[in-house]
Amino acid sequence: MEPAEVEFLAEKELVTIVPNFSLDRIHLIGGDLGPFNPGLPVEVPVWLAINLKQRQKCRLIPPEWMDVGKLEEIRDQERKEDTFTPMPSPYYMELTKLLLNYASDNIPKADEIRTLVKDTWDTRMAKLRLSADSFVRQQEAHAKLDNLTLMEINTTGTFLTQALDHMYKLRTNLQPGESAHSQDF
Amino acid sequence: MPSARKPMRYGHSEGHTEVCFDDTGSCIVTCGSDGDVRIWENLDDDDPKSINVGEKAYSCALKNGRLITAVSNNTVQIHTFPEGAPDGILTRFTMHANHVTFSSGGTKIAAGSSDFMIKVVEVTDSSKQKTFRGHEAPVLSLSFDPKDVYLASASCDGSVRVWKIEDQTCTTSWQLLQKCNDVINAKSICRLGWQPGTGKLLAVPVDKVVKLYRRETWDSQLDLSDASITLPLNVVAWSPCGQYLAAGSVDGSIVVWNVETQECIERMKHEKNYSICGLAWHPKYKQVAYTDTEGNLGLLENVGVVEKPKDKVASAVAKDYNDLFDGDDDDYFNGDMVEPQSSPNPAADEDDDGDLMLTSGRPRRAIIDEDDNSLDIGLIKASSSLLEKEEDGDDQTGGFSALPPSSTQQHFYDGPMPTPKQRPFQSGSTPAHLMHRFMVWNSVGIIRCYNDEQDNAIDVEFHDTSVHHATHLPNSLNHTMADLSAEAILLACEGTEELASKLHCIHFGSWDANKEWTVDMPKDEDIEAICLGQGWAACATSAFLVRVFTVGGVQREIFSLPGPVVSMAGHGEQLMIIYHRGTGFDGDQCLGVQLMELGKKKRQILHGDPLSLTRKSYLVWVGFSAEGTPCYVDSEGIVRMLNRGLGNTWIPVCNTREQCKGKSDHYWVVGIHENPQQLRCIPCKGSRFPPTLPRPAVAILPFQLPYCQVTTEKGQMEEQYWRSVVFQNHVDYLSKNGYEFDESAKNQAVKEQQELLMKLFALSCKLEREFRCVELADLMAPNVVSLAIKYASRSRRINLAQRLSQLAVEKATELATAQGDEEEEEEEEEEDFRKHLSAGYSSSATEWGQLPVRNVQQDQEVEDAEETDACEEAEETPEVHKQRPNPFSKGVTSAEVTTPKSAVLGSSSSQGRVNPFKVSSNKKDPVVPSANVLDTMSRYSKKTSLSGSRAVNKQNPPVIKPLIPKPKSKQASATSFFQPRTLTPNPSEKAVEEREGKAVEEREGKAVEDGEGKAGNESHEVKVTAQENTENRRPRTGFQMWLEENRANILTDNPDLNEAEVIKEGMSRFRMLTSEERMVWTEKAKGGAVNGLAEDKKRKRPTADEGEGRRSQEEKSEDTNASKKSKPLDQSTNGRLSAFAFKQS
Repeated sequence: MEPAEVEFLAEKELVTIVPNFSLDRIHLIGGDLGPFNPGLPVEVPVWLAINLKQRQKCRLIPPEWMDVGKLEEIRDQERKEDTFTPMPSPYYMELTKLLLNYASDNIPKADEIRTLVKDTWDTRMAKLRLSADSFVRQQEAHAKLDNLTLMEINTTGTFLTQALDHMYKLRTNLQPGESAHSQDF
Repeated sequence: MPSARKPMRYGHSEGHTEVCFDDTGSCIVTCGSDGDVRIWENLDDDDPKSINVGEKAYSCALKNGRLITAVSNNTVQIHTFPEGAPDGILTRFTMHANHVTFSSGGTKIAAGSSDFMIKVVEVTDSSKQKTFRGHEAPVLSLSFDPKDVYLASASCDGSVRVWKIEDQTCTTSWQLLQKCNDVINAKSICRLGWQPGTGKLLAVPVDKVVKLYRRETWDSQLDLSDASITLPLNVVAWSPCGQYLAAGSVDGSIVVWNVETQECIERMKHEKNYSICGLAWHPKYKQVAYTDTEGNLGLLENVGVVEKPKDKVASAVAKDYNDLFDGDDDDYFNGDMVEPQSSPNPAADEDDDGDLMLTSGRPRRAIIDEDDNSLDIGLIKASSSLLEKEEDGDDQTGGFSALPPSSTQQHFYDGPMPTPKQRPFQSGSTPAHLMHRFMVWNSVGIIRCYNDEQDNAIDVEFHDTSVHHATHLPNSLNHTMADLSAEAILLACEGTEELASKLHCIHFGSWDANKEWTVDMPKDEDIEAICLGQGWAACATSAFLVRVFTVGGVQREIFSLPGPVVSMAGHGEQLMIIYHRGTGFDGDQCLGVQLMELGKKKRQILHGDPLSLTRKSYLVWVGFSAEGTPCYVDSEGIVRMLNRGLGNTWIPVCNTREQCKGKSDHYWVVGIHENPQQLRCIPCKGSRFPPTLPRPAVAILPFQLPYCQVTTEKGQMEEQYWRSVVFQNHVDYLSKNGYEFDESAKNQAVKEQQELLMKLFALSCKLEREFRCVELADLMAPNVVSLAIKYASRSRRINLAQRLSQLAVEKATELATAQGDEEEEEEEEEEDFRKHLSAGYSSSATEWGQLPVRNVQQDQEVEDAEETDACEEAEETPEVHKQRPNPFSKGVTSAEVTTPKSAVLGSSSSQGRVNPFKVSSNKKDPVVPSANVLDTMSRYSKKTSLSGSRAVNKQNPPVIKPLIPKPKSKQASATSFFQPRTLTPNPSEKAVEEREGKAVEEREGKAVEDGEGKAGNESHEVKVTAQENTENRRPRTGFQMWLEENRANILTDNPDLNEAEVIKEGMSRFRMLTSEERMVWTEKAKGGAVNGLAEDKKRKRPTADEGEGRRSQEEKSEDTNASKKSKPLDQSTNGRLSAFAFKQS
């Protein structure tokens, strides 16, 4: 899966916005949205929120977890534990990126949040690499990782599986290598 | 000289602590829940000697170099003092001891434990123990008689006992305390004490007084009390001379009395109001050491330095002290004068500070609240009412310093005290002293004001950017008041020395280039409140004047207010002013309200009526709902709304405090919507108003009328019903004043109400409350009554059904009267209407509009018949099972069949768009007749609610669109239940017909396509019903027939009556007839109607045959289709109904 696809999925998440226009309920295949009353918070998917925000049609209210205190706690927890801790949102990275890119003026301490989320992400990626490393070293047949988000799986999934394939090939080629050689001749 | 209080210091970790002095008074010894005993050289000793005696020390006592402690391992230990070396265990209990004390000689100790036991042990020989049994709960405290004859003890069982130590018998016992099961639950730890020396008196702290009991007789000699003690006393301690008694209370008061004179010589309040749990007098000096439950240690010096020269006894006893305090006598007076003012009420000091910081003259309550000082509020509230009065008096007289000094007791006027008047405010603003504040937050937008070093500016922001873009204004004039509407920004400032008070309007809605105007107030007249309406602005000034301007700046009306203004609000052409009607007492405000309309008809609706506020509250928000109903909110969070349906009374619609999580949380109201029912407000944690940053988010609260027993089904439905009624009042108001309003929403509400009534009816039926059923039916619309009749007869309540049918007949006649009264009006209208016709519409158009209707009519007959069958089937099914599973939902089901018609009518005509993705649309979903009828119900409500919300959006920005005044408004409101369409603000009925004709035609096509599509069917039917309504507005009723016949009689009796009066008279006569007679007329009318119809081409009533046929069909089965009966206004139907009911009996 491409990261863009993961991001696309993340855009379905709901966020709260305060519209500055008045619009009736809109009917979409995915469900009804609205009604939009100026000044009254309403929940919409991220894609719509970003679209409206870009057109300066709304103000975004950041998700509850997008708060310096909470993220610090999460980061510290993540650093303390050896395993993966549950994230506040299954799309925390994507949402952070999207919302901070397009609506950073509505999010207090946007820079700090960006750093904190990046820190958390880095910690988790390090853990992931470490576990992949030990997985390969110990030549385990299977492993179980909890609380991974889609984006995180996506960063390592393709590479790891392909690498394992290659390694498998290399290993299996060691013994029947002769026959392969013989074919060449 | 007053007692000098040294600041408290940390002694132990929090928990129970105890304090005592050593024999010489050279050091203070404390023990605490951290298990340490600390020896302090003095209060400033930063390095006290600590002796660890156990995990927790409950009590300690010190004498003759022996320190005994009661610790958590259930023992009483001895340590040497001052070394602190353990010296053995004196005694053990099965629970820990709560109090240990030495006898006066120091040879014995007494310990009282949580295992109900008291032991007296020789210090030198722990084998010599005496056990006292008798208490039935943990022992709280003990005291040795100085002569070692008696031992007094207090226990959680509520008793205070005196024991004879010799034979361990209980000499006397008083039931004085409140019972409890454990020491931690005890209200007071009740440390009692014998008077040192003679032991003549035993002091027991009982609630707020210290009771003194005489030795041997054991009668209560006297009580020591003081006004400053508001909570139970915890500890008493005698001065070593036995002349003074100190007591500490659980709220931190320490009071010292001279026991001889019973005079209170010292009052002290703990700086943080912690509970005092240890008190000890210095053996030589007039010092009192005290500890609190938070582990702090404090010291009072120079306590009770009285010794008036003439007081011989005292001076004799306290000889030792005299040299120390010579010449202090005069100071004592001063000290005492000051003391009672400041000590009982430290909050007053803080308040005064607040006053200095803020603009003066602000009422106390407001300051406290605006400062967010919730702690102080609680404190003030907790203090006695006397203190509160005193405090208020303080405000009134401007401080006590000017008053001549007096003795310790307060000497004020003791009656009700006037409340300081609430200051004027703008709704939706935060306090003016804040650097960043909201000047207004309403449904249009937000105005913020920044007033810091760099900038003094005003930011205007609109919720809906299509109204106007956000603006930034410099605030050079220092505006403090603002209002915002969809066409203008209004700002105002108070006057200064040089500058007059100014009203500044930015009329951005103006189409010319000059958007701003300013008006100066006359000298010495300050603007105190402003508001904006549609096309006008108003300000109230300090000269009790209200000045009205046009939004363009033309001066309009000016009028005087009966009192100083509190706040104003405008909406459309309505202006609401709230002012001080007089002086309130004991915390209440005394406000009055004026409501006036500044439109074409200038009139006053509320003539300065008193405003209902919660007790001891003040006003915090005034405004109008988006639909234009006046509302206000008081400081207790109660939202009240004008109930126009009940003689303009105020009804509480919401209690925001009930929704708050914390005690100090509040909701800051920013707007009220009646449709949908929304209270928009901002949740504020720990304060009354929100900060500007971070930007607060709006939350929505539901309304709830404070009806009783809303947890029960009945109460809930009653609340819902009346809430729906109250929140529907605005529709009548709007229609009466010629505003546009949302028809579908109204129909929705009516439907909801009728449904609720029907549910209540069914519930009462189930509970066998037939009288209540009739009462409920009285509230119902006639078509729903017929349903009720059916329900009653089906549930075999013949008596009820009979009564209901009587009721139905009465209702019908009433209706006829109402119509009769309007006959004349109608006639006039008819003429009007014809003129309109000839002027505006070609006759061909009318014809064209008529044509399809006829077809529809016929179609409808057929469909009706079909539907009847279907319904019969549907309704028979449960009948077969003998027991209907849920008669309740049954009632709802049938209600659905009839009532929602009008709703569907409204919604289908107003619903421009439908959800193309919605599969559950009624049209494409033919309902199998025998399927659960509830399905349609839910589908209906879904659909209608959808349309309801659509309507809301249309109303937003809402409502104010004056129309051509409708000629028929009166009739419309009178018969609105039955003729929803006539309410449409269309000048000509023909137009309605025509439009409906078209709609019906279209629908017909669809209906044909859909075949048995029930949805099509139904909406179709609805159309036709409406059609009938407009056409056969006045079918010939029995009354009319009767009237025709009897008109001559009436006229001969009263020759000078005009037409209306004749009808009225006829009405009353008709009512005198028996119901049978009336029935005869009704029956006649039915026949007559048929004839009349035959004559009148326009009237497309079912022919007589059809009618008969239908009736016979109905009579065949008991389960007739209710929908048919409920045809609004159909007299014959009502006749048939009653006939039906009679047949039943």
